[in-house]
Amino acid sequence: MRPKEPCDRRGADRLPSALLCGAACVSAALVFSIFAFLAAFSWPVLSGGQLGSLLSWHWRPLAGEFGILPMVVGSLCLAGSAMAVAYPLALGVCCFVHGCGPAWAARPLFVSIRFMTSVPTVVYGLVSVFLLVPVIRGAFSGSGFSWLAAALVLAVLVLPTVVLIIDTQFQAVRAEVRVAAAAVGLAPSQEMRHLVLPLSRRGLAIAAVLGFGRALGDTLIPLMLAGNAPRVPGSLLDSLRTLTAHIALVVATDSHSAAYNSLFACGLILFLATLCVNLGVLSVRGRRLG
Amino acid sequence: MAVAIRIERLSVDFSGKAVLRDASLEIPKGGPTFLLGRSGSGKTTLLRAINRLNECFPACRTSGRVVVNTADGAMEAYAPDTAVEVLRRRVGMVFQTPNVLPLSIARNICMPLEATQGMRGAEAEARMEEALREAQLWSEVRDRLRDPAVALSGGQQQRLCLARALALRPDILLLDEPTASLDFKAAQMVEELLGELRSRYTLIVVSHGLSQARRLAEYLFVLHDGGRVEELGKDVFRDKDALLTVLGDLL
Repeated sequence: MRPKEPCDRRGADRLPSALLCGAACVSAALVFSIFAFLAAFSWPVLSGGQLGSLLSWHWRPLAGEFGILPMVVGSLCLAGSAMAVAYPLALGVCCFVHGCGPAWAARPLFVSIRFMTSVPTVVYGLVSVFLLVPVIRGAFSGSGFSWLAAALVLAVLVLPTVVLIIDTQFQAVRAEVRVAAAAVGLAPSQEMRHLVLPLSRRGLAIAAVLGFGRALGDTLIPLMLAGNAPRVPGSLLDSLRTLTAHIALVVATDSHSAAYNSLFACGLILFLATLCVNLGVLSVRGRRLG
Repeated sequence: MAVAIRIERLSVDFSGKAVLRDASLEIPKGGPTFLLGRSGSGKTTLLRAINRLNECFPACRTSGRVVVNTADGAMEAYAPDTAVEVLRRRVGMVFQTPNVLPLSIARNICMPLEATQGMRGAEAEARMEEALREAQLWSEVRDRLRDPAVALSGGQQQRLCLARALALRPDILLLDEPTASLDFKAAQMVEELLGELRSRYTLIVVSHGLSQARRLAEYLFVLHDGGRVEELGKDVFRDKDALLTVLGDLL
């Protein structure tokens, strides 16, 4: 007679597997349905001869012009500039924490960065309205609500995300090489430069891609600090409007007009941008760099 | 007898738990000097205390004195002004399990040379070839220096680790059970290699193999009771029965 236990175990193994499979299918179906919803609702705009109006540089809803290109450019400018500040800073923090800085300072620094993840975005925005914006207003001209203000605060917002991804990668690499590196007389900075950084290229690329995605998708910071002028900024001190802030602003005041309908196209663009970010991560994960 | 390393009242704690307590010994130049003892007697900790590698492990506290005599003079290992990286280059180490870096075979040797001595190009390659020949690995890897080091067999990886240490031209080599993870043939090859290196380096070997110690040791110390160190004379450790009797009494 065959023992019963393996059969029971197979049954017990099947249940979590089926549950996980079900959860994955539901998640995939939800994502697909969001895409289908956005595509279906933006189809009248895209197919009804308004595509030209949508892909223009002017947002003048009263004149029937619903150009979202300034917002697309605004989103890319803001996310790119925030990452340009946050990424080197995050890399520096991780190098400092992983041996390049003194141990007594490394732990408190890392705890502070972890704490930053729990601060609500609106708090960053609110504090910056009262602290950073007046400083920019005083130092330069204009209202202070600008690309610069939003980029600096968005950099602070995405910093913990980037730090945590790079830190995870550094931990994995250092666990592998630390003792061997010390045994051949490498100082921590040499270990970082010659081993940890080159061997972490994939993790560093993933951190950049995910950080950019996080910056691109944030709504509150650009809404509160970037000034929200629907035009392409000429300088860091100019106002700009991102796609996310644009959706929030229009939804807050409108729900039936053609301007409202154009938001679905904005949503679709953001969705596709997020998809591109995730495909980028998958591509980096799947490829062996160097 | 010239002394390579003088250890005085060395104590090492990990997370408050004493692994070594007041260990004192003098390790002569040349060798090989073998350290024997039961598992957990602190042999590896003693070895790692010489080049301060215990500091790579969390919650380690060391007290006592370790003086290492190098070609450049005596180095007090735990003195505040001692550059630990320089000490580790003078005192190379090979571990129980081969720990090649996840780089190519060539980079495993050239990278430390480049990082620590600024040596690059032809000079570094010449040093690499010299070290690989010294570790009797050159003929096996000369055509695949750009291959990943992890693709080598266990015995080859261990000899690559040895070559990596030798390329830095140390005065002293610490070997922590260098044949423990190898098969018979690979272990035999490493043993032969130790026999050749003994004339050029001070070798300190932690081992569990009594027969290996009897065959290769020039000096032999036994660690017991958390830090007491007993030196055995050649007449004792070359004689199997005498060695077993003494070890039976000590351990």
